[in-house]
Amino acid sequence: MQLYDPTVTGPERNFRRAAALDTLDGKTVGILENGKLNAVEMLRETALLFEQRHGCTIAPIYSKTNASAPAPAETLESAAKAVDFLITGLGD
Amino acid sequence: MPLDSARIHDVPDDLLAAIDYCYEQGWTDGLPVVPPSVERVEQMLQYEGRPSETVVAAHPATGFECTVHAAAVNAVMAGCKPEYFPVVIAALEAMNEPGFNFHGSTASTGGSAPLMVVSGPLADDLAMNSDVNLFGPGNRANATMGRAIRLILLNVFRMIPGVSDKSTQGNPGKYSFCIAERSRGNPWPLLVQDLDYPDGVSSVTVFAGGGFCNVENHGGNTPEQVLGSVADAMANYGCITLGQSAVVLAPEHVRVIAGAGWSKTQVKEYLFSQAYRTVDGMKSVGKYRQREYDKQHADGGTSPLIKDGQLHRGLTPDDILVVMGGGDAGGHSCFIPSWSRARSSIMQSKPIGVCIDCD
Repeated sequence: MQLYDPTVTGPERNFRRAAALDTLDGKTVGILENGKLNAVEMLRETALLFEQRHGCTIAPIYSKTNASAPAPAETLESAAKAVDFLITGLGD
Repeated sequence: MPLDSARIHDVPDDLLAAIDYCYEQGWTDGLPVVPPSVERVEQMLQYEGRPSETVVAAHPATGFECTVHAAAVNAVMAGCKPEYFPVVIAALEAMNEPGFNFHGSTASTGGSAPLMVVSGPLADDLAMNSDVNLFGPGNRANATMGRAIRLILLNVFRMIPGVSDKSTQGNPGKYSFCIAERSRGNPWPLLVQDLDYPDGVSSVTVFAGGGFCNVENHGGNTPEQVLGSVADAMANYGCITLGQSAVVLAPEHVRVIAGAGWSKTQVKEYLFSQAYRTVDGMKSVGKYRQREYDKQHADGGTSPLIKDGQLHRGLTPDDILVVMGGGDAGGHSCFIPSWSRARSSIMQSKPIGVCIDCD
């Protein structure tokens, strides 16, 4: 008996890690919040630690309108130009 | 025609061994599947006019694509007859609309399942159940079409429980969640008519449904009494959000409501107006969020039915899907909340087996 495989092969994608920063000192930190309860609070507290410990500047917050969908490309492109690194995480 | 690139597994010519093989490959939902033999898949493909390699849905995060062929293989495994296949394809295309967000609604801790509501003459043509035991077992079309969608989510899009499907508790609809709207004795225009599809066309609507909430009311003899109990279920503290709602009204309840001359539009407006909690109440259970209140009330409110100090379920009466379904006897309707707490998943509809206003 011959059976078709019900799965599909994944696409070839060119993902790679970004190069690590040489230092955090004096860098601009971005925040990408997902709109969930307490997300902004949690991420702002985290960003404050970077400010206190490394003298980072906190950029205006970027928000997703849909927590469970990938961030729009334009949001990520805008953030990439404005910050040295970005922190994100789930709310709730 | 099948894809040239489709991968084929040679297995012993023994049905039970083939079923076991499918288990061993991790291709099932926990229940036995029909082994997807080449012959059966080719029969399924006869019911789709487009080439096998046509992509009908794509996963936005992983890039996995579901072709007509992959859908057919999984539909065979689910137990679908070939004539069910256009419904499966239309449901997939509806789920593929960005507004439905099938990635989020499947991956989320919320544990939703795509509820499929088939409306129109095809429901009877396929001998779907819209009657007694609507959400229960016993009907091949309902059971296998819903199951096909789950198998596609598992096998094609790799929405694997515990890995990429992080549902906290899930729900039984994740095995299969497919019903037909009842046309027999229905006093209102069918959903497919509400969608303004041409006469003779059938439709499937997909809705990211959370758990099933039975609404029992055997004593209500007015629309306000019956719908008051439905609205109360919609506004319970565990469920109330700005998300959409699905309400399946039992024929017994519909007779009370329509017998008083109410239209489906009036039903939606009444439910919306009554399905609310107060700001203080929401605060008492820790679920109040100012931004949600502002979203509903900004600029005079998203609906004139919205009152100050109240948080309604949904943004407008059109956020409530109302269909009739179930057996003649019993005051048992149901409310199914959307997985989404706001606009992260919006129900979508597609005509079945036809292309209307396509590019």
